[in-house]
Parts: sequence; C-alpha cells; structure tokens
Amino acid sequence: MDKKYGVYICTGCGIGDALDIKSLSDIAADEGLSCQTHPFLCSQEGVALLKSDISEKGVNTLMIAACSRRVNYDVFRFDGCIVDRINIREGVVWSHGRSEFPALTEEEKADEDKFDRVQMMAEDYLRMGMARTEKVKLPEPYQLENFTKKILVIGGGVTGMSAALDAAKCGYEVTIVEKEAQLGGNVAEWRRQLPVAAPYETLIPTVVDGKIKAVEAAANITVKTETEVARIAGEPGNFTVTLKNVGEKTEFDVPFPLPPEMKVDEKGKELDVDALLVKYKAYNEGKKDILQFDPNGEKFGAVVLAAGWRPYEAKDGEFAHLGLGQTPDVVTNYQFEQIAAKGKIVRPSDGKEAKSVVFVQSPGSGDDADFAYTGAVTSMVALKQAKYVCDDYADGKAYVFYQHMRTPGLSENFYKSMQQTPGIFLTKGEVTGVSKNGSTLAVAASNTLLGENIQVNADMVVLATGMVPVTVDDPVVNLAYRQGPGFRDNAIFNGYADSNFICFPYETQRTGIYAAGAIRRSMTVEESVEDATGAALKAIQCIESVNRGVAVHPRSGDMTFPDFFFQRCTQCKRCTEECPFGALDDDEKGTPKPNPARCRRCGTCMGACPERIIGFADYNVDSIGSMVKSIKVPSADEYSDPPFRILGLVCENDALPALDIAALNKLSYSADVRLIPVRCLGSVNVIWIKDALSQGMDGVFLLGCKHGDDYQCHFVKGSELASIRMKKIGEALQSLALENERVAQFEVAIDEYDKLPKMINDFVEMVEGLGPNPFKGF
Amino acid sequence: MADKYLVEPDVGFIKEIGEYGGDSLKKCFQCATCSVACPISPDTKPFPRKEMIAASWGLKDKLVGNGDIWLCHNCGDCSTLCPRGAKPGDVLSAIRTYAIGHYAGFPALGKIINDPKKLPILAAIPAVLFLVLGLILKIFGVHWLNFSPERVFEEGDTVGHIAHHAFFHTWLVDLIFVPASIFAVAIFAMGLKRMLADMHANALLEGKTDKQKIDPKGFIEALIRVVPTILKHSKFSECGENSERGTPHMMVFFGFVGLAIVTGIFFVVLYGFGIHGPYKQFNPVKILANISGIALFIGGLLMIKNRMAKSEDQVSTYRDWFLIGLVFGLGATGMLTELSRLADAAFLTYMIYYIHLMFVFVLFISLPFSKLAHLVYRTTAMAYNEYAGRK
Repeated sequence: MDKKYGVYICTGCGIGDALDIKSLSDIAADEGLSCQTHPFLCSQEGVALLKSDISEKGVNTLMIAACSRRVNYDVFRFDGCIVDRINIREGVVWSHGRSEFPALTEEEKADEDKFDRVQMMAEDYLRMGMARTEKVKLPEPYQLENFTKKILVIGGGVTGMSAALDAAKCGYEVTIVEKEAQLGGNVAEWRRQLPVAAPYETLIPTVVDGKIKAVEAAANITVKTETEVARIAGEPGNFTVTLKNVGEKTEFDVPFPLPPEMKVDEKGKELDVDALLVKYKAYNEGKKDILQFDPNGEKFGAVVLAAGWRPYEAKDGEFAHLGLGQTPDVVTNYQFEQIAAKGKIVRPSDGKEAKSVVFVQSPGSGDDADFAYTGAVTSMVALKQAKYVCDDYADGKAYVFYQHMRTPGLSENFYKSMQQTPGIFLTKGEVTGVSKNGSTLAVAASNTLLGENIQVNADMVVLATGMVPVTVDDPVVNLAYRQGPGFRDNAIFNGYADSNFICFPYETQRTGIYAAGAIRRSMTVEESVEDATGAALKAIQCIESVNRGVAVHPRSGDMTFPDFFFQRCTQCKRCTEECPFGALDDDEKGTPKPNPARCRRCGTCMGACPERIIGFADYNVDSIGSMVKSIKVPSADEYSDPPFRILGLVCENDALPALDIAALNKLSYSADVRLIPVRCLGSVNVIWIKDALSQGMDGVFLLGCKHGDDYQCHFVKGSELASIRMKKIGEALQSLALENERVAQFEVAIDEYDKLPKMINDFVEMVEGLGPNPFKGF
Repeated sequence: MADKYLVEPDVGFIKEIGEYGGDSLKKCFQCATCSVACPISPDTKPFPRKEMIAASWGLKDKLVGNGDIWLCHNCGDCSTLCPRGAKPGDVLSAIRTYAIGHYAGFPALGKIINDPKKLPILAAIPAVLFLVLGLILKIFGVHWLNFSPERVFEEGDTVGHIAHHAFFHTWLVDLIFVPASIFAVAIFAMGLKRMLADMHANALLEGKTDKQKIDPKGFIEALIRVVPTILKHSKFSECGENSERGTPHMMVFFGFVGLAIVTGIFFVVLYGFGIHGPYKQFNPVKILANISGIALFIGGLLMIKNRMAKSEDQVSTYRDWFLIGLVFGLGATGMLTELSRLADAAFLTYMIYYIHLMFVFVLFISLPFSKLAHLVYRTTAMAYNEYAGRK
C-alpha cells in the first residue's frame, strides 16, 4: 500500500488553549506532511473533513492528534486506512495543566535556554506517531484453509448436555463424548437435587432425565459413550480430534513432554537438544508426534470441557479424628447420597434406621477451613441430605455443624426453608472428635452457638468432602501441543481448569477450549447449567472469530497475527516455551510452527525473540523502536539545564486506562516522561530499552498488570515474563556502565489510577538523583 | 472449662412452642440483633439470642428454668428489628406459656383453662358451684342463697337499698373463694420452689451468677430492691416498640392492687367488726374501690385496643385474649354491678353480680395456670436477677 499521510490536530477539549498549535503543526510540515487543525474533530463536520480527505485526496494513513485512542474509536475508524491516534488530550493537556506547568511568557520565548515541557511532550508524541505510521502496515486477517463450525463437548453430565443443547439450539453441530456407558454423570446417581427455579425452597427430582431426553431428541447432537479423547491437534476452527474407547492404547494417544527429572543427566546437568530428542522419543514410544495429524480424526471448531468432578478421596487416616475409616457409620456426603438413593437412610454397620445424623462441614483441628474442593456446594448438600433424614423419619434429627454456611444468591431461600424443618439443627462450631458410644456415635463439638463444649449422640456422621475436578488426575483434553497435553500452572487454581478466574470466566489457557461446570470450581446443578451456557457461547464466539481471521477475547476483532521471518530463526524455542497459550509448536529441529488461530495476539513471542524476527502488521519491534528513536532527547549542547527523558512502556489493558482515568481526574505527573502503549508487557522486547538508553534517555519503566499467583495479566504470563526479563537486563546495563535502577517495572491495577502519578514521579525523581545518562548527546 | 453438655433436642417441645405462638422460632440465624436491640437485656449473657438457638434446637431444659425468659417484658423491639422475622419476643412469650404450665402442674386443669373449647366448662364451674352449694346448704336450713333477696334498711332509712349479700351471703362467697385462693397460693408455692431451684441451676451453668447458693435473706433484700422497679413500671418505659403498653398495664396492675387492698379491708371489717357492705359512696375505701375498678375497666379496654392494632406485628393467642378478657370482664361486671345497684335495678344487678362472681372465681383458680401467673414468676425472676448481681 502506498501511504498517503495526513496529520490532523484537534484543538478542542482545551488542547488549543494549552499548546502552541502552530509550532506543533510545523513538526509535520517540516517532514513535508499535510497538517490541518480543527476545533472539534470528532464532530460531524470534523469527521466529514477526514472522510473527504480520504475520498478526495486519497489520504490513507491518518495521524489524529486529539484524544486517547480509548475514546471515539468508532468515530475515527476508517476501514482500509491506517489510523494513528496521538494522545495529546489525556496524555498531555489534561494530565499536565498549565497552572502546574506554565507556558513560556513572550520574554522567556526569546530566551533560547528556556523550554516548555508540555509543548515538548506534545511535539514528541506527534513525532512518535509519525515514526510509527511509517513502519506499520494495514493488517490482513489470517484465514484457515479448512474450517469447521462443529463443537466438541467433553463430558456427558448435566454441564456437558446443557452446553450441547445450548450450542445446538444456536444451530451448531455438537458431539458429546462421555466415558461412561450412559449420559448423566454424577447427578444421575442422586436421590434429589437442589432447586433450580423460584421459589428455591424445596428439593426436586434431578434434571438429568429431562436433559437426556432433550439431547436424544436433538437432531444436531451426536453422543459417543464409552469414549474419550486420545488427542486434540491443530487449532481452533480446525481441530483434528482422535477419539478412542476408554482405556484403549492408540498411536494417536498424545505424547507427553519429558518430566523435569528426565531432562537432566545423572549429574543434574541439562541434556543437549539431541539427547533430549532421543529421550523424548523413547518416552513416547509408539505415539505419533504432535505435528502428525490423524487422517481419520474428526474435525471440530471449538471444544467445551465439561468433564466434571470426582469425589474427594481421603488419604489413609486423614480424617481419623472424625471417625472416617474407623467405623462404617462415618461416611462422606458422596457415600451418604448413594445410601439415600437406594432407599431410606440406614446405618452401613448394621442396616438399622439412621434417625440421628450429624453433618460435619469442616475438618477442624484448629483451622476453620471447610474440606478441600467444597466452595458453597457442600453447605447446600448438607442441608439437602439433612432433609432426607427428616423426610425418611418423622422423628428424624439432622445436625449440621458448620464453620461457614454458604448459600449464595437465591439459595438463601432454600436455607430458610430447610431451617424451618423442626428436625434440622444448625450451629456454627468445630467438631473436635467422633467416637464410638455403644452402638451409636458420640460427636463432640466446641465453640458452638449453644455453648463451649457440647456432645451429640448420632447414628451416623457425614463428612462434607469436596468435588475434585478431574483435571487434577488427568489432562483430559489431551492437546497435541508442544507445551504439553493439559493446561499449564493449574496448581495455582487448585487444579481447576481456569486461566483468569475473576475477569474471564470459561476461558482456559488454550484458545478454543472453554471450561464449564465443576471442572472450573465446585458448583451446584443450577450453576453448572448456567456455566454451560456461558462456555457454549464462548465456543461459538471463538468459531465466529476464527472464521473471519480475527482474535478472540481479550483482543477481540484484532486482525493481526504474529509473522515470523524464519530465515533468521536460531531455533532457540523461546517463543514456543513462553507463549502463554501454547500457540506455537516446533518441529524436531526446533523451528516454531505458528498456529495463528490459537494465538491471542499478546506479542509475548515478539518480546521473547532474541533475533527480533517476530512482529505484527501494526505492532512490531521496528515500529515501537522507531517511536523510541523519534523522541528528542535534549542535551547540554542545547540547554544549560536540559530536562530528563524517561520512557514508559505501558500495558494497554489496565495501565493505560488507569492513566486515562488519572487524566480525567486532572492528576498530573512529570512532563519529562514519554509513554508508549504496548499490547502486554510480555511483548516488550528488551531492544527498545537498550535503544532508549543508548540514545541518551535517562530511565525506562514498564507499567503493567500484577503478576504472581493472583495475577491480573490479561495474557496470563505477560507481566511475569517481563519481570524476569527485566531482572536479566541488569547485566546488559552494567556493560553500558549504567545503573540497574534506571530500568524498573511497576504493577498497577485498573482502579489504582490515583497511585499512578506518585509511582511515575517517584521513579523520575530517583533517576534524577542518579544524574543524566552519560550517553546523552552522543 | 465446663463439662460437655449433651444436646438432646426435643422435637415435640419445638412443635409445642410453635402452637403457643412461637412458630417463627426456626427462622433465627443467630445474628444477635435481638440481644443488641433489647433495651432491658443485661450486658452479660444477654437474651434472647441464646434462648432462640436453644428453642430452635428444642432444648427444653435450657429454657423452662431459665430466668431470662421472665426478664423479657415482650416489648417487641427485638421482633421488629429481627432481619429474619423470627419474632424472638413471641418465642419467649410462648416459652413462658410453656413454663407456666410446667410449674403449675395439674395438666388437666391447665388444659381446661387454656383451651378455648373448654371455656364453657370453665365458666360453668363457678356458676354451678354457687347454686349447688347454696341449694345444698338450704336443705340443711342455712339460707345463704336467697332468690328473693330482701332490701336492707339502715337506721332512719325507710326505702332501704339493695345489698348483694342478701342474694349470695358473704359466707357462701367466702366458703368458695377462701379455699380457691388457698389453692392458687399452694400451687404457686410448689411451682416457685421448683422454678427457683431450676433458675439457679441454669444461672450457674450459663455463668450468669457467681453466687453458689440462694441465701434467703439476700434474696428477700433483692426482692425489696426490685419492688420500686415493678411499681414504677420502669422496664416498660425502656421499651421502644410497645411503650404505649406501659400505661394500660399500670392501670390494670394498680387496679388489682387497689382492689386487693379493698377486699382485705372489707374482709377484716366484716369478720372483725361485723359491718356489712355496701359502703357509702364517700367512704374512702369505696372511693379507692371505684377508682381501682375504673382503672381495671379502662386498662382492659386499652389492652384490647392495642392488641387489635398490633395484630400483624405480634402474635395474640387464646391465652392472651383469655387474660385480657378476664381483666376487662372483672372490671366491667364489677362496675356494672355497682351502677345497677345504685340504679336500684334489682334483677339486673343480682344477675350481673352473679356473673361477676364467676369471673372472680375463674381469676382465682386460673391464676397459676394462665398468663396472669407472670406476676409471681416475673417478680421472682427479677428478684433473682437482682440477687445474682448480673449487670
């Protein structure tokens, strides 16, 4: 595309009052670019001016110096044109008010040694915009050659069936794979279930039968029972899935990466690439490599993972103080449900009527935590099962000892209704022990609402153990991905299949695979059904994005994708290993094989690549590097006391919005910083930092999301990887004889806008303390 | 540390409390808003939070002998502020009902008094008793019952006037009422003995007192200390929600006190000096009697009005209506007897007097079984609480 440039400066919203628009325009004019100003560029009239330039003058590369790109993005969207939004409203004028940063007086203007920091800032941003537009291209979407809209649902329980039904209703073909011989999952084994509709007061028959009938009646749902996934290969829109009988061994069983202990020799030294390959092949003997697709595999566009849960298995003696394993009359809630499903509640030890049952919600021992993997569900299950006791026996008594009674949402109505049952007795308290007392059990509890130490005699004791997601035992999805068959780092989610629990439900760390139901967290039937709808819609969204070659959330609609210049690839595998989404596979030599439909366009690969061969059409090492280089660094030759120059690389997901909010609140920060938005701190290539420092800038900071176990990074690993890279940059700085402190990374959440100015100013002050960069002026 | 308390819920107790107007008890989720809201609950071991959990667990033994149920004046602040509609005030009231029955004994008699279906039987007892006893005595030539009573003439009085003792002789009345009141006192005495022992045991168990034994002297001193509180109704005035209840209660209370004094004087004067009624209208005793009667009548009327107005916020059971009806009936028939006598309407006044006697009889024998028993139990509990030194 032959670029025809046009620079447009809006003077509205206080921009014209604060800046010298004439000298700003001259920056563009000096480069021979046409530059126009308008008092109200986002008005109909202003947009008409832009449109007429596009159609009449053939302008196709627009630099709009006005507000932040986070506003008016729809107004300034012109298809087929490159649009660069130069943020001089929030980024300059609003965040650097003239009362705090006064303009030069006429006298001062005559003095060449005086400068206007705010004007300098606006001019730099214009130069940066011009540098960027020169380097970027108009993106073209990545289109898959083969494409299918079919959806695979793993798991035929309530969640899986609900997801399948929802997707089928939207017109998608769905296949359910279920490892058991029939549909229904755990719920099919229950006597009753919790209410799912208003008034949420009484137990109901399980919804399983209705779901099974609906699935059987749906024309576009295929059910495969006694089947499991051998491997899922390829990418969203074009997954090649090998299904197999449960337990069967096939050549398309997914190969597993070498466990860490096999990657080293006897002395603990890391093996070289060839030795690793030999070991890997031996380890996965009889399995085809991940890059080899099953010719008989079925094609799917997206996957809903609804593999569900299994009951918690207590370790030997784990709950001995509560009598589990000591007497058969102490059971888990799962076992109690099995007894209840068979008929009246009877004692396992002698088959006698169990009219007095104690439900223990927390294992105790000084800790008030509930049993593992429980959430709110076991509170409600205890109420449900307590009701069984009173339903079975008119004089039945059910005691619930809890540390937490969690009945979220309208389940409160259920709690109230169960509480009204005369034979149900509830108290907070710690159960300290269960012991035999003749033919019954003596349950001792302390710190109860009834008093310090109490005892209840019971026929049975039920422990509220949790629902363990099956992903704890097995990857289930069996992805033929170089990073491995399951989701990475699931340990921080207790083994639940999740990636960003609060902000992005259903999403996993693998694009196109969406989790629903008890595989995500312990859930009731009602919650699982709702979850299934969410995951089904996510799967549909994915298919309907991939077919147009655009990214899924969080960069929904982004048409770019990473482009590799393979001639210079050194097969270091960093991109393959660091991609948070496992988008890259590599061949035997280590050359990466991109799967663009798996990619979420965060640019972590671009940040990782030491050869800098990865880039996007509108975001690459050169485009950002050029922006850095276009920043004017004043030196002592120009001014007797030149201002410092600090570069800030700002994550556009949380840090950039926070900066905009700060500007909206007229919070100001140093006018000596120059900010460049980046897709994710993971995409920051250290060359930009080196470029900045070697051209004399005094410091560089990275502003991004929180990392660690409670990370807020929109791309899971980006800010964490950046922090690792920043630690390593110290050596490079030392070789330049620069202090480590000149480069820093800060974490900020989107709501911490009020902390930003101090964060930035403190850094600037610290760098000023270090003194100017000695490379200045070279 | 206290020993383990063996919890044995009594589902039957829960259901019974429900029948007595405490059917909301299971709604409690132990937030303790009630204990905070209650203006008269002590700071240490405050009620009614702990009573609510004990009630919802059916722990009869923790409630019946619990003095705190009597400290409650059912002012209703807790019920109004309860976020769950558990109405602790009504629950405590129901527990008191249960406790009254528990300590009175004679469950058959209790049933007659507290069952609306048995009301005709209850009314029939005195009606028949007076007539039958009077007729039996007539057979033996003792004419204490006269169906054509003669007018009574005093010195210089030519017209004469109606005197009720000419109809039912005072001895006939007292022949019935003296044993009836002895019966009531005896039942109270037995009940109180058990109740006080239970109350002390409960206070020790729950740490509400540091006194190991009840010392009679100290207890009576404590009782004397609470008398002004009772007379002034100061606990009532602390109530926020139902403070208007204080006035009618005070009217009824002092009405009864006044009438008790009048009856005492009358009794002494009659048997000591042989002077019969009716007294002159300007006699100080008569004035006191009239004021007390009017207070009883108006107080009863106000109670009825308040209960009707509160029908949604507060449960009113048969027991509540029984007591109010009794109070109002006593006052009304008493005043009407006097008025019709003064109007010289012979038949009417004898008729109303007969009904009035029925009310008095029911008052005496129902005293330990009905809600009216609270005057004894609450006084005792307040005295005990004062004695226990709980703040």
